[in-house]
Amino acid sequence: MGVTCVSQMPVAEGKSVQQTVELLTRKLEMLGAEKQGTFCVDCETYHTAASTLGSQGQTGKLMYVMHNSEYPLSCFALFENGPCLIADTNFDVLMVKLKGFFQSAKASKIETRGTRYQYCDFLVKVGTVTMGPSARGISVEVEYGPCVVASDCWSLLLEFLQSFLGSHTPGAPAVFGNRHDVVYGPADTMVQYMELFNKIRKQQQVPVAGIR
Amino acid sequence: MSGVRAVRISIESACEKQVQEVGLDGTETYLQPLSMSQNLARLAQRIDFSQGSGSEEEEAAGAEGDAQDWAGAGSSADQDDDEGLVKFQPSLWPWDSVRNNLRSALTEMCVLYDVLSIVRDKKFMTLDPVSQDALPPKQNPQTLQLMSKKKSLAGAAQILLKGAERLTKSVTENQENKLQRDFNSELLRLRQHWKLRKVGDKILGDLSYRSAGSLFPHHGTFEVIKNTDLDLDKKIPEDYCPLDVQIPSDLEGSAYIKVSIQKQSPDIGDLGTVNLFKRPLPKSKPGSPHWQTKLEAAQNVLLCKEIFAQLSREAVQIKSQIPHIVVKNQIISQPFPNLQLSISLCHSSNDKKSQKFATEKQSPEDHLYVLEHNLHLLIREFHKQTLSSIMMPHPASAPFGHKRMRLSGPQAFDKNEINSLQSSEGLLEKIIKQAKHIFLRSRTAATIDSLASRIEDPQIQAHWSNINDVYESSVKVLITSQGYEQICKVITLSYQEQELQDFLLSQFVMDLKVAAKLWFSFPVISVKTFQKVMFYKTPNGVIFVGHSKKFIGIKWKVETLFIKWSCLFSRNFDLKLLFLKIIIRKCVFSTLSAFTL
Repeated sequence: MGVTCVSQMPVAEGKSVQQTVELLTRKLEMLGAEKQGTFCVDCETYHTAASTLGSQGQTGKLMYVMHNSEYPLSCFALFENGPCLIADTNFDVLMVKLKGFFQSAKASKIETRGTRYQYCDFLVKVGTVTMGPSARGISVEVEYGPCVVASDCWSLLLEFLQSFLGSHTPGAPAVFGNRHDVVYGPADTMVQYMELFNKIRKQQQVPVAGIR
Repeated sequence: MSGVRAVRISIESACEKQVQEVGLDGTETYLQPLSMSQNLARLAQRIDFSQGSGSEEEEAAGAEGDAQDWAGAGSSADQDDDEGLVKFQPSLWPWDSVRNNLRSALTEMCVLYDVLSIVRDKKFMTLDPVSQDALPPKQNPQTLQLMSKKKSLAGAAQILLKGAERLTKSVTENQENKLQRDFNSELLRLRQHWKLRKVGDKILGDLSYRSAGSLFPHHGTFEVIKNTDLDLDKKIPEDYCPLDVQIPSDLEGSAYIKVSIQKQSPDIGDLGTVNLFKRPLPKSKPGSPHWQTKLEAAQNVLLCKEIFAQLSREAVQIKSQIPHIVVKNQIISQPFPNLQLSISLCHSSNDKKSQKFATEKQSPEDHLYVLEHNLHLLIREFHKQTLSSIMMPHPASAPFGHKRMRLSGPQAFDKNEINSLQSSEGLLEKIIKQAKHIFLRSRTAATIDSLASRIEDPQIQAHWSNINDVYESSVKVLITSQGYEQICKVITLSYQEQELQDFLLSQFVMDLKVAAKLWFSFPVISVKTFQKVMFYKTPNGVIFVGHSKKFIGIKWKVETLFIKWSCLFSRNFDLKLLFLKIIIRKCVFSTLSAFTL
């Protein structure tokens, strides 16, 4: 588990999501990365049931249950600013049992699927974010395997990102923020994905490219 | 007193007179209360002269209350006395008993006085003490204790002896029974070694390894039967046993796994021939009953079958570069080219027809006992694994499987880590690795030996370590030359097949003052696939710079050695370090011959 940066690639002007993804992947292949299969990260939202809310009517918290194909036997559960729980796949069954406390928000399942590329010590995953049947955006995840401390390798990651993302390179993710010397873990990756999905959910739907 | 008028005080006694009778006209006749003297008389009647002195005092105290009346009453008592004698009958006179007692007391006192006065004179009466038996000598309390202890011990001894008698009786009975070999006692003995259970009216036992963790689907059930073919008239044979076991037919006889390495590849037609040479059964412990040997042999057969089944399953499933051949009861694989490893299950039943094969001559050197033993060990390892706590979940509600696999969820293992957890080499791969190792080791030893015998200067010595792994060995090769204390180098060579091994040689400080001595430059054997071996050696070179080197190249006949050594060394004269890179390849060299330039 190395330091990972998850960012969003804006859709190129006049192109569809798929075409942008193709552009990116071609760039990567030209760089010399080798394809190593596919990946998938998905997220479901649950909110605390009304019955458990206090009489003051406090807003229920949102809980996200996520899976990552990189950790096939694990399931992640996290609150917005709260803790992230890493459990095994039986957690999904547990959520069914907790129906009384956590209700699934309808039509909130969001996922990203794409290909996985290995370029020496870097692992690049370019995926299409879809919500339901519609593609909403592009997610790019870069992992630098050897390092586990974010502050040590952020500059290297940035350079690498610049090499193929060009101007769309993101800034340092919020998770790196104040915890400079803490060992990076898979939970941080999932937090980044959660933030990305939330951002994309709030965005307008990608305008359909005009048919010329 | 004169001034105060006297007050009249009238006193009335509280007690009223008792009513004797009430007349018809209501008048009451009162009982005259007892007068003083009458009262005294009454009390005197109550005196009990037989009581002790204490009570007499009490009575006296009680009587003193009337003492003042005594004088007054005395006179009246005297009067009454006389009157009493005349008027009352003697028994009714209250003072009678008093008088009698006093009179008798007086009598006795007089007598005593008389006797004492006579005795005082010692003329007519003397006082003699009453003779008593001499007091027994003062008893020693210890002897008493001793006596009592003896008695109690005797009692205890009696009880113990009784019990001992009973025991000896039962023991002698057992001894007798042993000769007769009761079925039940024999069954008890059997039960101490094997698991038995009763099904209906049959007694069945289990000789499989299932309870020890095996997953082999063989039932391994044997039946215990009573041996009834005993002719009571004839003499009971020595090894008669009332119990007999019936083992499943496919586990009869004895079996072993034969592992052998052959150089040449056999004909296809030879594959699958059942190798049977009846290995003599391992000697059973003397005195163990025949059913024990039978059952142990059957269990061994079962284990060998399991090993072979596991091996053949892996041979078929696992994909390797050179496929393994499984024919009947033999598995053939090729760890190295031109080298063949064959594992076969030799099961010889006790039938007559197999006796023919017993004469087949098989060189016992072929059979690698070590590997067979290792196979047994490996399968037992596997058995233990299924039962170990690594597999059994703690807490009991956790899913089954390897402990680390259970943790891989909560600890977010990625694919690499999961794969490393799941890497499990099968039995076959392990055995092949071990076979390869044995082969390499023997060949290396042979090569080093041949090298040492050929090259006289410098001398090569090899010390093989005693502590070896099944996959690794280590040998210490000492290369020394006469007159060079500094030169001896120690290379510790430990190899794993297919692995690179880097060697760091200890440094090697050259003293320029001893330039006269030979500067020994390390012999390098560099082997390439096309058989070129270069051997560098500098003889008595005095000049360090640019002196010519004499080369000795050696080509030698190494059929099977595949050690590729390449040496990088610096031409720097104060050579400190030499790096030796040794690669072991699985290639075969052909002939090399020695030559010197």
